[in-house]
Amino acid sequence: METNLIPVEDICAYHHVEINFIQSLENFGLIHTTVKKQSLFLPVDELTKLEQYLRLAHDLEINLEGIHAVSHLLNQLQNMQEEITALQNELNYYKQLNQHH
Amino acid sequence: MDYIDYYKILDLKKDATTEDIKKAYRKLARKHHPDLNPNNEEANKKFQQINEANEVLSDPEKRKKYDKYGKDWQHADQLDAQQQQKRQYQSQGGGYGGNSYSGGFGGDDFSDFFSSMFGGGGRSSRNSPFKGQDYNADLQLNLLDAYTTHKQTLTVNGKQVRITIPAGVENGQKIKLPGYGAPGVNNGPPGDLYIKFNITDHPRFKRKGNDIYIQEEIDVYTAILGGEKIVETLNGKVKLKVPEGTQPDATLRLKGKGFPLYKKENQFGDLYIKWQVKLPTNLNVEQKELFEKLSKF
Repeated sequence: METNLIPVEDICAYHHVEINFIQSLENFGLIHTTVKKQSLFLPVDELTKLEQYLRLAHDLEINLEGIHAVSHLLNQLQNMQEEITALQNELNYYKQLNQHH
Repeated sequence: MDYIDYYKILDLKKDATTEDIKKAYRKLARKHHPDLNPNNEEANKKFQQINEANEVLSDPEKRKKYDKYGKDWQHADQLDAQQQQKRQYQSQGGGYGGNSYSGGFGGDDFSDFFSSMFGGGGRSSRNSPFKGQDYNADLQLNLLDAYTTHKQTLTVNGKQVRITIPAGVENGQKIKLPGYGAPGVNNGPPGDLYIKFNITDHPRFKRKGNDIYIQEEIDVYTAILGGEKIVETLNGKVKLKVPEGTQPDATLRLKGKGFPLYKKENQFGDLYIKWQVKLPTNLNVEQKELFEKLSKF
């Protein structure tokens, strides 16, 4: 078994969550799982995302449709934050030029 | 250690029902949940307060103790002892058991007030694994530090963390180090460490994305007649040819002599050199005559 794959069964036992929930997240395109030897696995780099969705469902009682919407908005937020940082850095460059003159 | 008004935190009246508490908690948790407020330390702190308030007020036993002592919580043990003595005087035996709030909650994201009143750190009621708290740290680098990949040791919450900083990090960029946050609760995974880079400006090299801009002085004779100029770049000195008739503010681009691209090996931005033509001052009589002669051509 590849070390960067986690059996979904283990995740379900650890987080006390039904496998259906994870399959539904996949159906919504929110995570990607892999089937190997008839077992379902989650790539390690998908774990943080999955745990975030589990927290949203558990802590805030957000349903799958809600998680889908939240995930989309969080991605937009992240892109905007990156854009703001890039713009701030560019603005800083022009400020430095003004100080120089 | 100050008294914390849990009712105020959840915006509730003292006679709030269990349903009111649940509703208020859900409402505020939706607003301040760390997953909905990435990189927002203020929201994170607020969410911890809301959790703590909910932990106390949603548990009838804890709420009873909290309501009973209120602002006198620091003297709770003394008050208990006094009441016990009173009872012993009034009736023989009947020893007052009091409420025993043992610790063993684990985790460290609850206030000192909570720990002192209820022991431990909370979150026992659900007994489910929780990811540890994420840590945030700011790291100041100068521009030249950010130019090369290097290792640096940081102290985060008393622990030494050695990290590799890839060349080309941007000012304001955040990187995540999974598992370097606070330990998990109830066998939950540890939190993550987020490091934000603050890159200080350099007096000579100005960065815009991956390109670097500098200004270089040349005298009027080199500008007019052409010549050579040794220019210091980020990775050493280079000898440049100044073409004849170079105008003030003319810009020269040196491809691949700028800043390294983040996590892209051997890829660099460009270096732009703006020529600043320095005019001579305090000319002597002979020089003035020569310029006058020139001006008549």
